[in-house]
This record gives sequence, structure tokens and C-alpha cells, in this order.
Amino acid sequence: MSRFLFPRWSNLLLPTIILAAATIPVYAIFFVAYGFSPKTLEVGYQPDQPVPYSHALHAGELGIDCRYCHTSVEKAAAASVPATQTCMNCHTQIRPESPKLAKIKESYATGLPVEWSRVHKLPDFAYFDHSAHVNRGVGCVSCHGRIDKMEVVYQKSPLSMGWCLECHRNPEPNLRPTSQITNLAWDPAVELSKQEREALKTKFSIHPSQDCSTCHR
Amino acid sequence: MIPLPPRWMIFTGAIAALALVIPPVVIARVRATPDQNRAVHIFFDMDFQPKFKSQSNNPLFADGRAQRVAVAGTVAKGETKLDTHRFEGVVDGKWAETLPAGMSMSKELLARGQQRFNIYCSVCHGYAGYGDGTVNKRAMALMSSSDGPANGTSWVQAKSLHDPAVREHPLGMLYNIATNGIRNMAGYGTQIDNDDRWAIAAYVKTLQLSQNASMQDVPPEIRGNLKKAETAAAAPAADATKGGVK
Repeated sequence: MSRFLFPRWSNLLLPTIILAAATIPVYAIFFVAYGFSPKTLEVGYQPDQPVPYSHALHAGELGIDCRYCHTSVEKAAAASVPATQTCMNCHTQIRPESPKLAKIKESYATGLPVEWSRVHKLPDFAYFDHSAHVNRGVGCVSCHGRIDKMEVVYQKSPLSMGWCLECHRNPEPNLRPTSQITNLAWDPAVELSKQEREALKTKFSIHPSQDCSTCHR
Repeated sequence: MIPLPPRWMIFTGAIAALALVIPPVVIARVRATPDQNRAVHIFFDMDFQPKFKSQSNNPLFADGRAQRVAVAGTVAKGETKLDTHRFEGVVDGKWAETLPAGMSMSKELLARGQQRFNIYCSVCHGYAGYGDGTVNKRAMALMSSSDGPANGTSWVQAKSLHDPAVREHPLGMLYNIATNGIRNMAGYGTQIDNDDRWAIAAYVKTLQLSQNASMQDVPPEIRGNLKKAETAAAAPAADATKGGVK
């Protein structure tokens, strides 16, 4: 009866296993942190919309102010998707026969809402208030990006809790005068000095709370 | 020299090591491309709760709206609009010449009116009110396209607010037009708050004055400032009417 002997090359297994044991946890951590981050999973969500409405044309080329349609953004928690009437202010006369507007016309005739797909969705236990932000110097572009360059809107920011807290801990870089709130091309980093941004923080008396109950109720 | 393990083992190991590169590449690709589907939720936590936030869908109602629309013919408490001055711009059957009770002409009111005008009115009427807003320009271009007006476009040049007839409009009439529209213009009663529509009307009056002013209308103490600006006036004026540039 012959005894089992490990082949001589099996001496290489030990360093290999040590190397793997050292790298695989690092790899796994990286994989989860990078792959399961909201920046991977949530950013870039760009659903098809029932009507091929182009922000690039309306807000970009035509320069229509965000608030022309999103009328409640300064007064309420929700910026709100506009009523069909808002589309028809112009489109009763501009390209009324366009097939792209068929669903708008149908909604206008029946009074039933157009079923837009929601792009930016917070978990139901988080409460965000647009009015609290836009009235105190946080512009649309800080969270939504250059909507005026998007043919179809996509989610620009991760909308994760860590991302919210980043600004709540250090709001100055995202502050602008209220006159530039909807000006997406206006960059406070370029237009304002550090002192001016800090002055804005004082002016709007911004003390962003990091208490749980600020956003979770 | 330690002898190497069998060939198949080296190959398998090498392929496994190379395979580790694939997930980061896939993740990088996911990050760089838009996605039509929302991320899969493995752990729901309390992300989706059986409640309705604004403008969400409630399948229990035929129209699908979670936010209910007021029943036709009903008026919410405190929303009776019996004050014809405030809600129609009419006093004793005539157009009001003054702001409704509780509002007074002030710099703040005009600044608010200007801001709201620039949001809601300038798209057609232009920032200076000459009827040269960006939407008007585009619509006029569609009207004069060589293949005829596209998709049934039937646009009428937006009114210049400095048109002599428009300059005659009393304040209450301007308010009423902003609220209910006129001819081809839609009403903005649902889009703009009531007080803001009065502020806009007041600003339009101011805009009309400003574009038809003589030196006598300018308070003597600031005439000097105007003279200085006169030479440079051409450039900013052109800028203001260009629109589009925010």
C-alpha cells in the first residue's frame, strides 16, 4: 500500500491562498461599494415618457423658466408636473396636429391626466420639500443637473441619504442668490467668491439640520 | 526550483483571475449609460408604503388620481370669489384703476411683478414687452416655413404691450387678461397666484410708462444717471429684448 504524497508543486498553494485571502475581501468590498452604490443603481434612470416632451427645447432653446410649468416649486413640497392646460397655453396654436401631442390633446379633451413616469423618487419614508430649498438659495441644477440639455430627463443625482447629508453638512458650495435659482447655466463656484457664498448662508439663515426627524417622519 | 502545477490548473487560475475584471467593467458601463428601468429593489425596507404622495396614482378612482379634483359646482370654504375688484378687476361694472384692498404700489410689488412677468409672460411678450419672446419667435418661424405652417400651427404675433390700444388698458383689465386670457392668449389664473397677477398688471403699467417716458417723467435727482447710461443704452436694450439668454 503506497502512501499519498502531496506533489512538490503543492508548496505553491500556500502563497497563492494567502494572496487570494488578502485580495478577495478587498475586491468584495470594492465590488459592493462600487456596484451597489446609488450612483450605480439610481443615477441614470431615464424612463420612456408617454409624450416625447423635450426639456432641451422648452427650457434650453426657448429659455422658458422652470417655474412656468412647475408652478408650485416655491410654495409646496412638490414641484409638481404641470396640468395639461399648461401645455395647451401654446399648443392650441403651435403644432396642434403633431402626432407627438396626441396624448396631450386626448388628456385635454377627456380631463384625464397624462400618465407621466416619475423619474426622481425618494423612499416613502423620506420627505423632501422643494420650497424650503429653492427659497433659500439651493438652485434646481444642484440636484437635477442640466435639465435644459436633456431631451429625455434622467436622474442626475443619487438622491441617497449620504448625498443629502453631504450638502446638509456643508451647504455653502450649493448656495446662490434667489434671482438665479432656476438659471441652470449659472455656477456659484464661478460667479461667487467663497465669502459671498458664506454671506448667503447668513442671509438665508441656513442651519441645515441633520436630525433624523428633519426628513423622516 | 519548485515544479509548476499541472497546466490545466494554471489555466483555470489565470481565467478566474481575469474573470474578476469583468464585474468592474460591467459596473462602469452601467454607470455611464442611462437605464429605462428603475433599479431592482432586493430589500424593500419601507421604500414603498401603501400611501399616496402628491400626484401619485390611486387605482381606486376611475381617473387614477390620488389627488382628488374638486367636485364641479362646489366651492371650498373661504374660496368664494365675491370681491369683483380682487378676482375680476371690476369695480361697479367698470375696469378697476387701482389695486385691490390690502395691496399697495411699492417697489417690492413691482419687483415681484417683474419677476413673475419674466417667468410667465416674457416667453411670448418678450422681457421688454414688445411681443418678441422666444416662443413667439419660434412660432412665427413655423408660420413662415417654406412648407407652410407645420402641424396645423396657427399663430398670431403676440401683442406688443406698447401698442397704443394696449397702453389704454386700465389696471383691472390687464389683471383680467392675465387671469382669463384674451383672443389667442390662454388665461393664467391657475398658474399664477392672484396677488401675483395684480403685481404683473402693475409691472406691465410700469413697463409701458418706461418705454414711453420723457425726461420730464424722471425725478431730477436721478436724471444724471440716465444721461451717463444713454450712450451705452443701445447695447443693454438690445440684450433685454433678445430673450432666451437668462
